[in-house]
Amino acid sequence: MFQNRAEALALALPAAVFATVIFLVPVVIVLAEGFRSPAGWTFSAYTNFFSEPLNRLVLVRTFKLGIAVTVVSAIIGYAAAFAIVNLSASGKGRMIGLISLPLMISPVARTYAWIVILGRTGIVNQALQAVGLSDEPIRLLFTETAVFIGLLQLFLPLMILSLISALENMPKDAILAARVLGANWFQVFWKVILPLTREGLVVGGTLVFTGSLTAYITPAILGGSKVLMLETLLFQRVTVANDFVSASVIAFILIAMCFAANLLLKRLATARNKR
Amino acid sequence: MHKKVLAASVFWLMSGALASAEEQTLTISVYGFVQEEFTEALYKPFEAECGCKLVVETGNSIERLAKLEANKDAPVIDMAVFSLADALSAARKGLTDKIDTAKLSNYDKLYDFAKDPNGDGMSVGYTIYKTGIAYRTDKMTVESWADLLKDEYADHVALPNITTNQGGPVLNMIGKALGKESPDLKEAMAAVGEKRDAFVTFYVKSSQLVQLMQQEEIWAAPMGHFSWAGISKLDLPIGWAATKEGDAGDMNAMVLVKGSKNQELALKFMDFWLSTPMQTKIAEMLIDSPANKEVVVAPEIAEKLTYGADVANKLTFLPAATTLDYREKWLAEWNTAVAQ
Repeated sequence: MFQNRAEALALALPAAVFATVIFLVPVVIVLAEGFRSPAGWTFSAYTNFFSEPLNRLVLVRTFKLGIAVTVVSAIIGYAAAFAIVNLSASGKGRMIGLISLPLMISPVARTYAWIVILGRTGIVNQALQAVGLSDEPIRLLFTETAVFIGLLQLFLPLMILSLISALENMPKDAILAARVLGANWFQVFWKVILPLTREGLVVGGTLVFTGSLTAYITPAILGGSKVLMLETLLFQRVTVANDFVSASVIAFILIAMCFAANLLLKRLATARNKR
Repeated sequence: MHKKVLAASVFWLMSGALASAEEQTLTISVYGFVQEEFTEALYKPFEAECGCKLVVETGNSIERLAKLEANKDAPVIDMAVFSLADALSAARKGLTDKIDTAKLSNYDKLYDFAKDPNGDGMSVGYTIYKTGIAYRTDKMTVESWADLLKDEYADHVALPNITTNQGGPVLNMIGKALGKESPDLKEAMAAVGEKRDAFVTFYVKSSQLVQLMQQEEIWAAPMGHFSWAGISKLDLPIGWAATKEGDAGDMNAMVLVKGSKNQELALKFMDFWLSTPMQTKIAEMLIDSPANKEVVVAPEIAEKLTYGADVANKLTFLPAATTLDYREKWLAEWNTAVAQ
């Protein structure tokens, strides 16, 4: 496309400078704070962080919820995306519009809606009591379940949209060919659809996992301090303790987890491809 | 003719230049809420009176402290407002100057506890507020802060998180009710920690409480009285508890930024804000409760504010030094006893 490499680099330069100045430099400054002490460079902030049982508990909980939201959104996302790509052009457009609609609504408004839905007098509790699964309202709000539901609703559209794009780029007759050759639906998914849509899954998985890991409003409102997560812990360290060193450690862990998830997903996709 | 025009032009240009040189700019840093109301009630009248320009920066205390610290050698803000603990924190970091109260003509009109709330001469209280318990009168009775811990009520109670401004004062009142008052709040936190699973939540935003009360998720919650207007509008039997320990009190204060260029003007602005007409206007607009004891408002307004010497003098204030010195320990204890 370009006559030479210099032309391409020149075009990329403004974006690269912008990303470096606005994103990379601040990130490096923030992260450096966690390795600095009056005596020099040190890992003591990290050893202190991991020596606290609460911090370890919060780290595991954040990771666990991130994984759970990503896996469940992938399962629901594949089913939804598969159904949508097989619709007519107008039906597909309408469905994509509906899926995108929540992304245009503030996460605060969406999260507050869950307080109504999951409350003692909300529709979930009413339904549970109506079908006889519970005699009295059960506590759903301010639990890990509430945070999980809130995060899933928040990020599921990103997974579905990524998978729709990937499924649309898949050769249309691949599934038919597999079925003709005797593969059952599980084999079709595992050996045909999954390998051919791995890029979409990597993009969607990374967006959902990093989003779940770094979302603040949903865990803060639906979990409160009973379900402390890394992002709410970070906020606490900055606003109450004015402790930017611990905050920097948490920021580093969150960034590392996001990069690790992306690398892992890419590795899994590549490994399947090689096989 | 040409000379006359030239002379007139020179005069016009010079008068404009002199006027702009004379017009001072005062930069203040305040909390971001109800700024439109503040502009109408306070900022515009002050600009009209002083013939100066007011630049208003908004943000929370942490942002304000960080900015003051970053610009310590060349301050860009002249005057700021803080919670008492953050005002003390700013003073300890050498970010504020002593306030020459002789230049505040309205100083003597303030409640005594608002005159020099931190005892260092570095701040003046401009608004007070009480923190008490709002509760469903048809579901429970609340005569003491300890009633919130009762088994029959705890699973319908929301408490403030320790990270909120209400967290410390509320735990202090619970400790007082249990007869185990101590600055480390350890006993109160242990008592709350025992019922951790029962409490509905430890809220971070008091705005959440209206919804939780409305959908009957909670029957009671301690809250700043500034939230009472929203709660009392609900079509539910909700009252403000008259506990035997009384309500907790807190205050916001004004500070003068150390080394700022416009300290005289900043003092004029502080005095203007503390004046009886301004404090009355701000109270009548239900923006802030007055720290000026000469303010008189109608009973229906007073009911929505922390108002009157009787109310103000019965409040239990948690000293800012305690909050500041123990904040880190409170958080560690809270994370161990309650959050885990």
